Amino acid sequence: MKIGIPRALYFYVYYPMWYGFFSSLGHEIRLSIPTNKEIINLGVSHSVDDICISVKVFHGHVKYLLNKKDLDFVFVPRIASEEKYKYTCPKLAALPDLMKSAFVNDADRILTATFYTRQGDKLIIDAFEEIGRKLGDTEERVKKAAKVGIKYQDLATKALRSGHTFLEVVKYIKNLEELIKKPVEKKRYTVALAGFPYDVYDTFTNGDVISKLEDSGVGIVTTDMLDPKVYRHYSKYMIKDLFWYQANAAAKGGMYYIDSSDIDGIISISSFNCGISSIYQKLLDLYSKEIGKPVMHIIVDEQTGDAGLATRIEAFIDLIRVKRGDGLVSQENNLHGTEDGVHVRSV
Amino acid sequence: MSRKKITYTVPRMGYTYAAFESFFKILGYDVIIPEPTNTETIKEGVSNSPEYMCFPFKILLGQFERVLEKNPDRYFKVVSLESYGPCRFGYYSPLYYKILRDKGFTNFEIVNIEGIYPPLYKGIPRFFKKLIKLTGWHAPWTIVKAFVIAGWKVYALEQLEKKLYYLIPREKVTGSTEKIFNAAVERIRNAPNKVKSIKKILNEELEKMEKNPHVERDDLPKIGLVGEAYILMDYSNNLDIEKKLAYMGVDVDRSLRVTNWSLDRIIKVKSHKAHMLEVNKGYLDFFIGGDGQESIMNTILYKKAGYDGVIQAQPFGCLPETAAKEILTKVSEDYDIPVLSLAFDEQTGEAGFVTRLEAFVDMIKSRRQMKKEEKKESVTVEG
Repeated sequence: MKIGIPRALYFYVYYPMWYGFFSSLGHEIRLSIPTNKEIINLGVSHSVDDICISVKVFHGHVKYLLNKKDLDFVFVPRIASEEKYKYTCPKLAALPDLMKSAFVNDADRILTATFYTRQGDKLIIDAFEEIGRKLGDTEERVKKAAKVGIKYQDLATKALRSGHTFLEVVKYIKNLEELIKKPVEKKRYTVALAGFPYDVYDTFTNGDVISKLEDSGVGIVTTDMLDPKVYRHYSKYMIKDLFWYQANAAAKGGMYYIDSSDIDGIISISSFNCGISSIYQKLLDLYSKEIGKPVMHIIVDEQTGDAGLATRIEAFIDLIRVKRGDGLVSQENNLHGTEDGVHVRSV
Repeated sequence: MSRKKITYTVPRMGYTYAAFESFFKILGYDVIIPEPTNTETIKEGVSNSPEYMCFPFKILLGQFERVLEKNPDRYFKVVSLESYGPCRFGYYSPLYYKILRDKGFTNFEIVNIEGIYPPLYKGIPRFFKKLIKLTGWHAPWTIVKAFVIAGWKVYALEQLEKKLYYLIPREKVTGSTEKIFNAAVERIRNAPNKVKSIKKILNEELEKMEKNPHVERDDLPKIGLVGEAYILMDYSNNLDIEKKLAYMGVDVDRSLRVTNWSLDRIIKVKSHKAHMLEVNKGYLDFFIGGDGQESIMNTILYKKAGYDGVIQAQPFGCLPETAAKEILTKVSEDYDIPVLSLAFDEQTGEAGFVTRLEAFVDMIKSRRQMKKEEKKESVTVEG
């Protein structure tokens, strides 16, 4: 069977698991194309106006896949909880219901299951069994495939922990072991990106912040590269843990990066009208005020212009350089020939 | 043991603030109730809270800040109601604390009431610890008495409110019922702390309102209100939507009241959830926190009860309500009931708001007319 996976939201967290599962069952996986203007337009026209841009983009990807008539199913999982007693954002918890009411005519082609991750393998296998029943595979094969999926996810986590971004994981999905062994180049400056994986890695929606930074000679780390164990102690500062695993990772991971001496600055990326990020951004603001490390918030929406963003990132890099005592970008070091040494890509 | 002089401040919830006030007064504390939402409190709240935070958070922050600012020589306990769930409602108090401290206020502490949440072995002791922090050390019977009196006052105020919105579209002299109602609220607020006297006052006032000259009629268009609890329950947040609709000649009903809201969430949790899942089957079968599921359920129930339209009131960017809004479009189509979604934020202007309400009411009236004519036609054809 042919299964479409939308390249949005939890794709950027659990793709290895789904890849391992579906491919070992022998199903063909079709990813939607990376976000572009067409997808965003599709999404905006099929969703309510005051929902966040990430969910709008997801609508676009699902519609793009539903338009391909040869696909048997489009996979829209419900990630209900990512840690014990933690939830996901209400909009994401209601995601399959939203999709079914947005695309009423194609409601039967939406394949869904409720996932509870990071709480033991049994709950994940249960969710996969639910999918297997709908696809008509035998229980034994499904169980085996689920275990393969979990193995892939573990390898991907290892790759992330060793400093590779999730975009590389997607590229190297067939041989993740090779990626883990691949060394990460250390650069003079390092900027941490705090935010939900789907905001950080969706390169079109956020104006390609990662490439902009890397092209100007700045290394990046993201909050999903951190093991939750290292930032557990920040819950004392936060008084009460946030209820969402990803928000906790962004807030506490951001604080961890604010405290660590080899990180020069933090950029938090979130989407317009994302309610949860407004909380962790305020927490990062208050914490950086105490420690004294630059924090910049980038909030993206469907109308983000590239030039304005490039200017802000240039200014941020200048700020980091001045803080390190290197001064502004000099003309000899300017590899890209632009005025400020930041490579501007044409969109 | 000498008690530190503590003043309480609680969120306003429509007219029911009188009940919360009496709760703490019986326990022997001073209470200062924040002023109703106005441009000043909104301005104060908006300028200090995160940009995309829920509107109720901004309102409450503004109200608390004004109270703290005006009384620098008192020590406050700021009461904040919370839940532990997927929506942002559960993270209010840490942010209040951090933002108010950052602003330089030191004369306060925040006490939050929240339900028992898992793991139970941690949740139950935490709940009682918080309860004691909320009320201080008192004899249990004092607390029970205060609770009962407060509960009765909430009930009385809600009965009066219901009567008011029932009578407004039927009264002969416009505005006469409201005058009686305002006096009644004041009387309930200052009622002696005895269940008997509250009951007596309630009956007297209801009778007085009933005697106000009015015309009984049952052909009024009916509109139900669903949406986020705090926006719905406090008249100053939703620009008095109920009263406005009532004066437009509509029978209006609000789905969430303090009594049924707290009953559903504290005592009847299980049966409430089961009922909700049953009604929402096929639309939203999953717990998403806030009042999103209730909005969908109540819309369907309103349709079944023969209402002509539903208005969903939500703060701008509310997580569960936005999800509900998208699903409500499908519910509205399937059940053939018009739903108007109104998002409230600091920019809401009164004039544009009234125009939208009027347009909606006009639409509902003409729909009723059309349906009546259809019925007549079918009757004549049959006859």
